[in-house]
Amino acid sequence: MQKEAAIREPLILGHKTYHDITEDVCRPIEDKAPKMWYILFGIALIIGLYGVGCILYLLGTGVGVWGLNKTIGWAWDITNFVWWVGIGHAGTLISAVLLLFRQKWRMAINRSAEAMTIFAVFMAGLFPLIHMGRLWVGYWVLPIPNQFGSLWVNFNSPLLWDVFAISTYLSVSLVFWYIGLIPDFATIRDRAKKPLSKKMYSILSFGWSGRAKHWNRFELVSLVLAGLATPLVFSVHSIVSFDFATSVIPGWHTTIFPPYFVAGAVFSGFAMVQTLLLIMRKAMSLEAYIHTKHVEYMNIVIMVTGSIVGTAYITELFISWYSGVEYEAYAFLNRATGPYWWAYFAMMTCNVISPQLMWFRKLRRSLLFTFFISIVVNIGMWFERYVIIMTSLHRDYLPSSWSMHYPSPIDIGVYIGTIGLFFTFFLLFARFFPVLALNEIKSILKGSGQSYKESPDYHKNH
Amino acid sequence: MANTKKYWKGIEELNETKSFRDSKESEFPQSSSIESFLADEKLGESSTGRRDFLKFLGFSVAAATVAACETPVIKAVPYVMKPENVTPGMPTWYASTYYDGSSYASILVKTREARPIFIKGNKHFGFTSGSVSPSIIASVLGVYDSERIQHPLKGGKKSTWKTVDNEISKAIKDANRVALISNTIISPSLQSAIAELQTAVNGEFNHIQYDPISYSAIRKANELNFGKSFIPSYDFSKAKTIVGVNADFLSTWLLPTEFASQYGQKRNPDNNGDWMSKHFQFESVMSVTGSNADYRAMTKPSEEANVLKYILAGVKRMSSTIKLSSTLKKTADIAIQSLLKSGNESLVVCGTNNTGLQQLVNEINHHNKSNGTTILLDNELNLFQSEDAKLLECVKGISAGAYDVVLFYNSNPAYTLPKDDLKKALKNKKVKVTVSLNSHSDETGALCSYNCPDHHALESWADFHPKSNHYALAQPTIRPLHNTASALESFLVWSGKAERGGKDSTVAYDKIKETFSSLSTADFNMVMHNSCVELQQPMLEDSMSFSAAPYASMPSTGKGTEVILYQKTAIGIGNNANNPWLHELPDPISKVTWDNYITMNPVEMTKAGYKTTYDQENGLSLAKITVNGISKTLPVYPLPGQAPGTVGVALGYGRGENGEKIGKSAYQTAEYGGHEVTEKGKPKPIGANVFPMLSMDNEEFNYSNSGKVAKVDGEYIIAATQIHHTVMGRHSIVRETTKEIYDSKGKEAYNPAHTLQTLDDDLNHVEKPVSEFDIWDAHPVENVGHRWGMSIDLSSCIGCSNCLVACQSENNVPVVGKDEVRRGREMHWLRIDRYFASDEEAAVGTKKNKKSFSYDQAEIAALNPKVVHMPMMCQHCNHAPCETVCPVAATTHSNEGLNQMTYNRCIGTRYCANNCPYKVRRFNWFNYPSYKKFTEINPAQDDLGRMVLNPDVTVRSRGVMEKCSFCVQRIQATKLKSKIDKVPVADGEFSTACADVCPTNAIVVGDWNDVNSKIRKSSEDKRSYQALEEVGIKPNVWYKVKVRNEENNLLSKLQVEKKSHHGSNNKHH
Repeated sequence: MQKEAAIREPLILGHKTYHDITEDVCRPIEDKAPKMWYILFGIALIIGLYGVGCILYLLGTGVGVWGLNKTIGWAWDITNFVWWVGIGHAGTLISAVLLLFRQKWRMAINRSAEAMTIFAVFMAGLFPLIHMGRLWVGYWVLPIPNQFGSLWVNFNSPLLWDVFAISTYLSVSLVFWYIGLIPDFATIRDRAKKPLSKKMYSILSFGWSGRAKHWNRFELVSLVLAGLATPLVFSVHSIVSFDFATSVIPGWHTTIFPPYFVAGAVFSGFAMVQTLLLIMRKAMSLEAYIHTKHVEYMNIVIMVTGSIVGTAYITELFISWYSGVEYEAYAFLNRATGPYWWAYFAMMTCNVISPQLMWFRKLRRSLLFTFFISIVVNIGMWFERYVIIMTSLHRDYLPSSWSMHYPSPIDIGVYIGTIGLFFTFFLLFARFFPVLALNEIKSILKGSGQSYKESPDYHKNH
Repeated sequence: MANTKKYWKGIEELNETKSFRDSKESEFPQSSSIESFLADEKLGESSTGRRDFLKFLGFSVAAATVAACETPVIKAVPYVMKPENVTPGMPTWYASTYYDGSSYASILVKTREARPIFIKGNKHFGFTSGSVSPSIIASVLGVYDSERIQHPLKGGKKSTWKTVDNEISKAIKDANRVALISNTIISPSLQSAIAELQTAVNGEFNHIQYDPISYSAIRKANELNFGKSFIPSYDFSKAKTIVGVNADFLSTWLLPTEFASQYGQKRNPDNNGDWMSKHFQFESVMSVTGSNADYRAMTKPSEEANVLKYILAGVKRMSSTIKLSSTLKKTADIAIQSLLKSGNESLVVCGTNNTGLQQLVNEINHHNKSNGTTILLDNELNLFQSEDAKLLECVKGISAGAYDVVLFYNSNPAYTLPKDDLKKALKNKKVKVTVSLNSHSDETGALCSYNCPDHHALESWADFHPKSNHYALAQPTIRPLHNTASALESFLVWSGKAERGGKDSTVAYDKIKETFSSLSTADFNMVMHNSCVELQQPMLEDSMSFSAAPYASMPSTGKGTEVILYQKTAIGIGNNANNPWLHELPDPISKVTWDNYITMNPVEMTKAGYKTTYDQENGLSLAKITVNGISKTLPVYPLPGQAPGTVGVALGYGRGENGEKIGKSAYQTAEYGGHEVTEKGKPKPIGANVFPMLSMDNEEFNYSNSGKVAKVDGEYIIAATQIHHTVMGRHSIVRETTKEIYDSKGKEAYNPAHTLQTLDDDLNHVEKPVSEFDIWDAHPVENVGHRWGMSIDLSSCIGCSNCLVACQSENNVPVVGKDEVRRGREMHWLRIDRYFASDEEAAVGTKKNKKSFSYDQAEIAALNPKVVHMPMMCQHCNHAPCETVCPVAATTHSNEGLNQMTYNRCIGTRYCANNCPYKVRRFNWFNYPSYKKFTEINPAQDDLGRMVLNPDVTVRSRGVMEKCSFCVQRIQATKLKSKIDKVPVADGEFSTACADVCPTNAIVVGDWNDVNSKIRKSSEDKRSYQALEEVGIKPNVWYKVKVRNEENNLLSKLQVEKKSHHGSNNKHH
């Protein structure tokens, strides 16, 4: 059993028993969904379907329905891609890296964070697909044997690395998430009364019986997958950053990008976790499991990664001046003072200043403030990608080609649509899947549960 | 060796059964014939089972589905009888001549499978020396204009030649007064046919030549000064000093096709080594010519007289009482010094149609003794014989109903005349019979009772006598597409001298041959092969001598803003309003497409509260311009260099105000296809017609006037290909120096190599040129096989935009229309970047002071900026950044140094375009050959228009990237030819479309690995540099430093200073 100092804040509040935990987590699945769920799901679905409609129009007409031009070949499409991939970073970081570091507080959030990761990566993966001029031949990016002669993919291209990085990340995350779900599905299966849901959950739970052998293998597999997933946390966004870092465009061609992107991704990923969980704990009455302490821990991660990101921004600025390269210097001057200064300003305010407020204990323990900041951070991180991608392109080497970017309604529709789809998926997840790793949580009940910590026996036993 | 083994086909053969033996006898059993089988009455009873039916149905649907997945195959039908001179896949070139009333050139027409697809200049014959203009190159599209009148019309209805001929001949014979209004006719055969017509008329016959742009003042001034009304020939290649006063002689004035190549010869500082011309330009609207001037002074039309008088006094070495503004005086003083130095090797020209000014010009040229050197009085130009006063007289007559028959030939006075009395007269049927021979039912044609459409120029025979000593022929390059008839034939038929000959008529040919034999003794076929011949000059009375005459009146200072009505390079007087290539051709100076606008100096605009910046969503302020009581509302374009107090508006727009059928692309297109329509349901014309603002002073058309410009509410979005106008002091893009520095200093002063710091073996810091750094191995293109390269001389490039249109024509570049251009999606593979100098720069691309350099200020062009035109296309980098980033290897490097684009393989990620430092890659955002948005404008969407496509070049589909290929189809053809001939590819044998049509030979292409090639030498020249060399991408295109023949103390200080700075650095190491 886990040992923990008594003065540490408990991770599970109240007087919960093992059964209470099961009840708390399974209740939303077994009960009828509340009206609010239907309303939210309806809204998300409508927005998502609108996005699908925009995508179909795009595919039917051509990429020209977006606001791109000869100078700016990527704008909202790739911005959204990087933004979603970034958001999809927190899940695996929480479940894999924190697992390796034995951070028990992760147990309350890892399930939803992983689900968020997977749905975010779905959304992310959509953009490289639909941004292609000819989606129907998009499979050419896969190095599959073909009948086109000796044609092969170009292994020099960072875009190809992206294909590998994203698909690997998605598959490992999916497997990791699913393995974790198996014991919890089994619990639901055992409690299910309706034959259909019993059947469904028994298929999903892969015949889990809860034997010690199963638990032993479960722990082992989790550890192995955590080991596999950990480097992926760093590789995915590093490779996404290579799309820009290996190019010759001032503002893109920056060696600092890989760590800077990874930090930014964790930053935005945690912010999104905060956004989702702060609502979910309330809506699903999980306040006992996800409480101020968890939020505080996550806020500290946001603060640290936010500071790394801020340092990176300032380093970039310094290097652009110090390098003495005319184009590099102008690219950054233009970001800060050019026609898109407001995007740069939004990015700086949201990403550099707002996380610094987390130094105040009071603020970082305030749930309302956290919710607000989590939204601000995600806005800021969207602007970061927009600033990097778009403002670098819109004024690069030859002033004759300098241009401005205006998003088209389809640009906006597709972006909003992916948010709708994301929430559609997430709401389905919250309805049918155990949103807490209930069996894992039980493992810390006696070590970090409030009632146990407060009981006089707690100290004696240790 | 005998084979004794025996094989059986089956057990039946082994056993020799009876049935086998029977069947063996008859290999093809005839027991039942098909007829008897089909005649079997029981056949109807046999039925296909349900299951079989479903199987067949399933299979056929599946098969049909699978078959439908393929791109539809469009079958080509081969020739049954191969026509002579047509080999499928091989082009046939015809030498011919272009003349449309405002431009003239000797041309070569490329035909493929008997259809003309490309026009370029004839470098070997004719005085235009291979020079053409954008409108000439684009004229090939006109053949395939589906809106041309395709058969004779009577009262707007389809008719037959027989009917119209009978009725017109009768009407002409019976008429009391007949008028023929045409543009200037320089065809001797046509003149003689018109003479025949005149004899056929019993009454009075009045032939009036009328050009919308009149040069009558030059003729009149010469009549006063030389006693003869004529326009001489000019030779800009002999002029060491050129002074142009409002004369855009490189683009629109008089004979730009001839002048551009003459001018170009002396703008390259290395040519002949001896001298470079010095060019002064006094003008109000920045023109192509003005943008090339070494000294340009902003001059109001009302100041022109004073400038000329001042110069005249200067060359006479007399003190002058003329008061000029300080900037004008400064430039005029330098011009005078230069004129005095050049003596008879100088040339002053003036483009203002005012006799007084032309007299001043004559006098200056006389004092310089230019007559005989740069002005050839004895070789008269037959173009532009416009009789403005006579025309107005005739229009009066028409309005009064004095004419019975009026014929219009190549003339559209209903559109080009300032007053609409002719239009009214035609509308009110003041003339019994009106005949238009124009190709379209245009503003005039639509009001005529008969339309007898002429062939397109590329379908017909013609001859020309453009200059006293020059005779030229035009030959058909395609059998007439429609039921049209040569005008020459029509005139002869109507005068009863010939019979209609149908499509294969020889009437025109015979007439021309007859005319030719009376003029020259040369072999007709040889002349046709060359397209032209020198004529024996008729002995002139003793060479003409100048005699002073009292000046005619000169333009006076009017009230209000001075308005200049000018011509744009592409659209001219509006003849080309239906040509989408020309509409989409960015104006060489403003870079605006598909519109006309009011040009105004941005400094003035800021003061008056006009917007001076614009982009895809932000339009320009609108203003109402009023001249002669005519008002038009147009956007105001910030044109640096526009003389303060003046504005300019281009002529030639606003065609088809009543929805006449002048071409689908002559009207504004709607965002999702179709035309924008006016309240009356008529298609909206492009721009506004400002011909009504012309005025008639002293019996000559005057193209500048005083008027009023008032800001009105609203904005108007324009489509420009460039929304940023300066080069931001970026020296590695544009390099400029002066002739003086170039002559006296070494390369390091004006064209220093880019160096990077590195460590040598002893770990000392050393500077090495960028070319020595490689991140990875270079493509093995050096000294192996061919390596195609290009050099572009920024000194010679005049920005005429020929290359751009030629590229569009050669490479099937789609037209995308105004809405897409404004979104920054024009598809041109080759563009011409135009950079204005800012006040922060000593010359374009050279910062005045690196420390105090202000980026904000550098974005704003100077009041009267220097200009650099920089053609930009794929640089075919040997370390191409686009190639490394393509995930599917759709863009790769050839072993001949070409950066190749494989459309089939492209999946359209656009990563390559993003990573291109030159931004020359173009993406197919839509399916241009079929998407409804482009139906009206893209020739590839028109059944007839698509015949102009070059069959050697793929028409790209949606979602793929494209870009300049260095005309790889031409490279392949050249290599193939050499292979057949078993000789190496000779230098100069291969040329790209852009280099082909460059009037100044600024573009040199060839095999860089051939050490003796022009391109190799050019690339190693001390003026050669590569744009953005420091990025390390190793382009195969070189630019050559722009040399301006001016004094620029600041620049020389900077360039000489830098040299010493480098020197000290070297010492240090």
